[in-house]
Amino acid sequence: MSILIIAFEGIEGSGRTAHLEAVKRYLEKKGYGVVIMGLQMSKLIGDRIAQVKKDIIFERRTLFLAYVTDLADQLENYIKPSLDAGFIALADGYVLTLESWGLVRGLEREWMEDVLSVFPKPTLSFTLISSPEEIIKRIIKKRGYLDPLSTGIDLCIKDDIYTAYESYINRFQEALISLSNKENIIHTDREFEEVNKEIVMRIDQLTS
Amino acid sequence: MKKGVLIAFEGIDGSGKSSQASLLKDWIEMKRDAYLTEWNSSEWIHDIIKEAKKKDLLTPLTFSLIHATDFADRYERYILPMLKSGFVVICDRYIYTAYVRDTVRGVKLDWVKKLYSFAIKPDVTFYIRVQPEVALERIKKSKRKIKPQEAGADIFPGLPPEEGFLKYQTLIVEMYDKIAKDENFVIIDGNKTPKEIQMEIRKVVGEYIDNSV
Repeated sequence: MSILIIAFEGIEGSGRTAHLEAVKRYLEKKGYGVVIMGLQMSKLIGDRIAQVKKDIIFERRTLFLAYVTDLADQLENYIKPSLDAGFIALADGYVLTLESWGLVRGLEREWMEDVLSVFPKPTLSFTLISSPEEIIKRIIKKRGYLDPLSTGIDLCIKDDIYTAYESYINRFQEALISLSNKENIIHTDREFEEVNKEIVMRIDQLTS
Repeated sequence: MKKGVLIAFEGIDGSGKSSQASLLKDWIEMKRDAYLTEWNSSEWIHDIIKEAKKKDLLTPLTFSLIHATDFADRYERYILPMLKSGFVVICDRYIYTAYVRDTVRGVKLDWVKKLYSFAIKPDVTFYIRVQPEVALERIKKSKRKIKPQEAGADIFPGLPPEEGFLKYQTLIVEMYDKIAKDENFVIIDGNKTPKEIQMEIRKVVGEYIDNSV
């Protein structure tokens, strides 16, 4: 069986994890083995990125390469062996999410694409887009507050964290949309079930 | 934009380049601000690399990427700001170390070059060239053990350290020789005495420093 990766691309709060989890349950019910990968989830360097992020927030290239290393470790040591065994991999953030992160921080698109060219192309890719209002509400519900480190504070130093975040989300999602195929874009500021149905329909086409 | 001078040292383990880099720094510091940075020395990554090598967790690709991350950290944090503010920055190993080590592990040179394309090219790159046999003799004389990474333990597992060292470092020398011309290496005969080598280096560097002020 060839490598089967389904990527969920989007900013934090776009519904990446929730939709990935729903698809995981769906696929498992249908009898598929599923493995999950995602940003900052590697054994090699995932925890360390979380620890040092605030110290290297202006070292964009370093942070980008750290994220790439993190993804590569998961792919090589965990995902590839599972795919060989017939599993489907679901990625909670993949190359487009990373590239969007870099684009809004001024990293060169060509350089990033060269670096990322070593990763296998996902079989199916969903670009999840939502309104800043909705995204911010989801994050506050989940964490209880807006974490300055994930709000793109290195880009938008503004009077208040809400406005900073709003403007960061807009820039990030503009970048992500510009990188994505139109037919892969899914708007998640709707009923969860409705969005899930749309995603599952696409996956059914693939697995049937 | 750049006011400083960037000097790189390349060569196999045991070639003497680290001593030369450090001697050069002392000399430059008498007249200019100088900074010396070593390969694989980012404060927050080098211990992960060390641990991962020990546990054999790295594949050729992650070996390449994690060293690039280490380099980028030192580049963004130290090398670039220092060059912009006029320092003479001396690198004990620079991107060419990645070129040779990554390709010896099977990663494509083209890709590695692109990975490091953000890094400015040095004003001078000294390649201290010695045969692996000579480097091995030096290490033995200094009574220190051959480190697993010097013996390419990840690509030649199971070989006795000395044999691994010769085999691995021979591949590295071949790669260095292959890229030497394209990358404008100043090739230094590492069989000369350390003093002779340092004099040769200072002669070349002296011109750059005088012209860059």
